[in-house]
Amino acid sequence: MFGLPRKLVVDSAELQRRFYALAREHHPDFHQAAPAEERARIEATSALVNAAYRTLRDPIARVEYLVRLEEGRETKEGDIDKPKAPPALLQEMFEIQEALAEARSEAAKGALDETTRATLAEQRESLRARLKDEETRLAGPLSARWDSAAPAERPAILAAFKEALATRAYLRTVSADLTETLGGDTEAFGRAIEGRHGSAEAPRTRGGMGGHIGAPHQ
Amino acid sequence: MAYSDKVVDHYNNPRNVGSFTKDTPGVGTGLVGAPECGDVMKLQIRVNLETGVIEDAKFKTFGCGSAIASSSLATEWLKGKTIDEAAKIKNTDIVNELKLPPVKIHCSVLAEDAIKAALADYKDKQASVTTGAASK
Repeated sequence: MFGLPRKLVVDSAELQRRFYALAREHHPDFHQAAPAEERARIEATSALVNAAYRTLRDPIARVEYLVRLEEGRETKEGDIDKPKAPPALLQEMFEIQEALAEARSEAAKGALDETTRATLAEQRESLRARLKDEETRLAGPLSARWDSAAPAERPAILAAFKEALATRAYLRTVSADLTETLGGDTEAFGRAIEGRHGSAEAPRTRGGMGGHIGAPHQ
Repeated sequence: MAYSDKVVDHYNNPRNVGSFTKDTPGVGTGLVGAPECGDVMKLQIRVNLETGVIEDAKFKTFGCGSAIASSSLATEWLKGKTIDEAAKIKNTDIVNELKLPPVKIHCSVLAEDAIKAALADYKDKQASVTTGAASK
């Protein structure tokens, strides 16, 4: 659509320039005098251009999109490979969540004691750093590897993408949950809600209906 | 989207929350996660070594209401089943029972995966116990 090579590593300035040109060309406001049928077509194109740009300008969204494209292909062949995070990561996330649940019930009784709070804050910092590393690796070296890979190497890189995306999802969720308990930092909290469970339910997914066993907080 | 009464009930009164010590004989542990949303679920069974019947099941889930309800329901269903019967529990059974909407089907898949992982862990443990005994 944007006339750029089909690669994960994208020249973002060039992408933006071409997006502006296309957006102008297909902007509904410039075609108000056109027949209704033509206007409808323009509106559809305009929406498509915008959606495409939203996906392509974000390096992580680009990878997610690629995975979906490739998955679609795999599914056709009847070979659905579910993304999996490393088992050690799951174990670690589970343990942090357990500690967090305990801290929550402590906090419900009174104030969270300073030592626990400091430990949790430290954990959050370390998770965030890992999250950043994971995103950098996805958008940088992994994306570049895909671009230069021979077809035979692609399944392995695709698997690496999926693992990195899964890892990223866990790190995001757990650090957002830590933030929810620790308070403050509304920016990360907003991101967590947006990134979680779609938007089909109550706005406060985690704090409302979605919660934690043992310490449901409404 | 509204949650069904059954989901709300399991969420407010989750059954069988807790854990067994991993190394206890007859205990199988399944730890699974949903990479789409970062939920983690641990489901454990305690099998009677003589009868092969699941005597007790426990879970801990950190995730949304549907994930909690799915795993809570799974532990209820597991109790009293043989491990072969337990292997037949399908995510669609959970979907039907809890009336989960399409966007929440992955929660029931997670519960089925957790059951399978717990059963596999139990079988692995039994196999290693047997080979361990044989090599003595």
